[in-house]
Amino acid sequence: MQCQNLDGSDRNHKLLPLLSRLKAFLFSDKPEGSVTNMTSFYLSRILNRRVLNSDGQAFGVLKDLIVCNGEHPELIACIVKQKDNGLRILDWKGFSIDKENNKYTIECSRTEDIALPEDAVYLKKHILDKQIVDIDGVKVVRVNDVRLAAVSSGIFAVAVDVGLEGLLRRLGFAKPAKSVMQIFGKGISSKFILWSNLEAFVPPLQNLKLSTKLSKLNTLHPSELADIIEELDINTRTAIFEALDNERAADVLEELESDVQVSLLNKMDTGKAADLLEKMPADEAADILDDLQEDRAEEILDEMEKEASEEVRELMEYEDDEVGSLMTTDYISFKESATVEDTINELRRLKPESDTIYYLYVLDNDERLTATVSLRDLIVSQPETQLSEIMKKKIIYVLDTDPINSLMEIISKYSLLAIPVVNEERKMQGVVIIDDLVYELLRPKRRKM
Amino acid sequence: MAAKKTTFIRNLLIFLAILGPGIITGSVDNDAGGITTYSIAGAQYGYKLLWALIPAFVVLVVIQEMNARMGVVTGKGLADLIRENAGVKITFFIFMALLAADILNTTTEFGGIAGSTQVFGVSKYISVPIAAVFVWVLVVKGTYQSVEKVFLFFSVILLSYVVSAVMAKPDWKVVGMAFVRPEIDLNFDYMATFIAMIGTTIAPWMQFYMQSSVIEKGLKLEDYRYTRWDVTIGAFVTVLVASFIIIACASTLHVNNVVINEAQDAAMSLKPFAGALSSYVFAGGLFVASIFSATILPVATAFYVCEAFGFEAGIDKKLKEAPQFYTLYTVIIAISVIIILIPNSPLIAITFWSQALNGVLLPVVLISMMLIVNNKEVMGQYTNKPLNNIVGWVTVVVLIGLSTILLVLSFIG
Repeated sequence: MQCQNLDGSDRNHKLLPLLSRLKAFLFSDKPEGSVTNMTSFYLSRILNRRVLNSDGQAFGVLKDLIVCNGEHPELIACIVKQKDNGLRILDWKGFSIDKENNKYTIECSRTEDIALPEDAVYLKKHILDKQIVDIDGVKVVRVNDVRLAAVSSGIFAVAVDVGLEGLLRRLGFAKPAKSVMQIFGKGISSKFILWSNLEAFVPPLQNLKLSTKLSKLNTLHPSELADIIEELDINTRTAIFEALDNERAADVLEELESDVQVSLLNKMDTGKAADLLEKMPADEAADILDDLQEDRAEEILDEMEKEASEEVRELMEYEDDEVGSLMTTDYISFKESATVEDTINELRRLKPESDTIYYLYVLDNDERLTATVSLRDLIVSQPETQLSEIMKKKIIYVLDTDPINSLMEIISKYSLLAIPVVNEERKMQGVVIIDDLVYELLRPKRRKM
Repeated sequence: MAAKKTTFIRNLLIFLAILGPGIITGSVDNDAGGITTYSIAGAQYGYKLLWALIPAFVVLVVIQEMNARMGVVTGKGLADLIRENAGVKITFFIFMALLAADILNTTTEFGGIAGSTQVFGVSKYISVPIAAVFVWVLVVKGTYQSVEKVFLFFSVILLSYVVSAVMAKPDWKVVGMAFVRPEIDLNFDYMATFIAMIGTTIAPWMQFYMQSSVIEKGLKLEDYRYTRWDVTIGAFVTVLVASFIIIACASTLHVNNVVINEAQDAAMSLKPFAGALSSYVFAGGLFVASIFSATILPVATAFYVCEAFGFEAGIDKKLKEAPQFYTLYTVIIAISVIIILIPNSPLIAITFWSQALNGVLLPVVLISMMLIVNNKEVMGQYTNKPLNNIVGWVTVVVLIGLSTILLVLSFIG
């Protein structure tokens, strides 16, 4: 079943001003229910309350509210616990809610069973007390309460309360605490996250599809998403990861702390793990695989394409404190005989990342590093000029077995953005990019309790 | 044949890689409060209470196995699970009680530092502030992870109690009999000491700690059977060290009718009977155990409280990102240190109250755990087996029963 609403465009048109009024109402100091045609209430205030039938007789106890998943989460059903029938899921159409003198009355005029949409959200079971992602604040927070609003077209979940006030309300001493704080001229902080700004993880987690359900997470930068994932438990992490497309998953994986990388790769399907690592720069992939248990790393390497896995294997040979362990094998090289035009065409084809484009390396026929060409010289020269005319033969390089510590001195002395790495025969091996070096230096020793 | 051998080596390697959470938890378990309680039990009742360590071992294994299983299956900490499944009011009660109990526990850890350094002739006004600053910096500067391994190594020093016990030359036949033939005195002091022993061996915060360590280690379900061994070995080491403390004190102090109230009394009193070395070894063990627990307990407590109430927490966060966490952490240490530095601070009363609070808290935590671990929606196919449930519920009932008896007895006088 789909959520019954007006069709898209029309609905948005009608609801937008409504929502902004709602926001104004939500965050104003007006007491609850003072507006007659529009009232909002907290989930905690009505859960476990008695439901009466139309004769005013006891019908049952309200156990949960169910909204449809989507941009406008309308209340569609509720769970009522009845003495003789146990738990029943009923269509909200037969219910009404009223507030008089600070007392809520829930009335059930007719009982209709309802077939719930597959992705229905249970406000108590899935949201209350659970962790959600605050998309604006890029944080994982815990929900203390849910705010709902009744408008003419129905009741909607509008925001979750993640502040101290919500917590106190649940414990039943929000009001006394408020009065005490008033004596000191202070309020109790309340913090809401609008429904449109949150992402919840509604089980079954295997069904998460980022394209639809977790679309809001897709708006985050990979490093932000990585921060979020680090805060979540392993099952949710895996579910999110499974839902990401490979390109994005690889970007996120690269940004994660190494212990999280390890736990994810251990849990992930071997084929998927291999796909992701292929998409990553070889040096990053080697770093991650180094942290894995040997047989698991071997398993993943075997699944990877031969060319990619060989490159990674070579990098894995280096010790942790050797330059080779830090370098990337993605660099751009040309032959001396190439012209400026050839070179620029080639660059257009390769579309290198911004951190590798500034330095272009010139290699001889034996892959030995002979010179460098700067992007500037390339651009200011005539198209037919040969690289041998504009290249600089005086090059600064390091050996792949040099200690990482020696890099800092060289990079800062010559103000370099990247430095080429060669082996003992002066054959080009890769490049160390300053970003990677800075990251290595800043890498904090992190730990969660 | 060869295949068999490689699987054995493979299994051994996996086991060694997984080893840790149980053994670390077991080592932290024998903290200043624990050493004090075991010393007093030994000095006062001789070998009479040794048998209590056997049920304590069984219960410890069963409970920690549940924690490990919950951690591996859900990937969530116990604080998270309680908050998500038991509701906000029970969560509030548990964590306020946990906070209070752990502040007192931390106080006893600093008390242990004060006491043990006094044995070596260092004033507590010097040793305690230094230790507090050391512990605070260690955690906040985030070098804790590397230090934990050092601590783990040091916790081998706890085996020094074996040395202390052997040097005291006990009658091993009598010791052996004490384990298998319980002698139960039906009076208030005996009951109180018995409950204190159980309470300190199965401290509530250990359950949270155990589960978090399992998660942090990133253990997988496939390797779960090794984790079970880890838990069992950890519990065994805990009980082994405890029994040697009791034996050391029983064979020297009890035989000579020496009455002690604190762990350092035991260290001091050992000197005339077992020699100065034995006394220093005992005090050294107390010092290491106290520092170890004083490092872990405050930060762990702050973390669980914040986790349950949804504040940002973790020592990888900056002060600005997690103000509640750092405030709580600092306040716990500050209060504990201040209490210890008050001249003639009532350490015995503090130890008693922290154990009393633990006694009230433990059944509540256990009941929550039993309900969560049997919840199919949370645990899937990994809910408790009948045997776990029997031991679990019997423990809950016995603990509540004992605490009630103790409460009644203390009112009657």
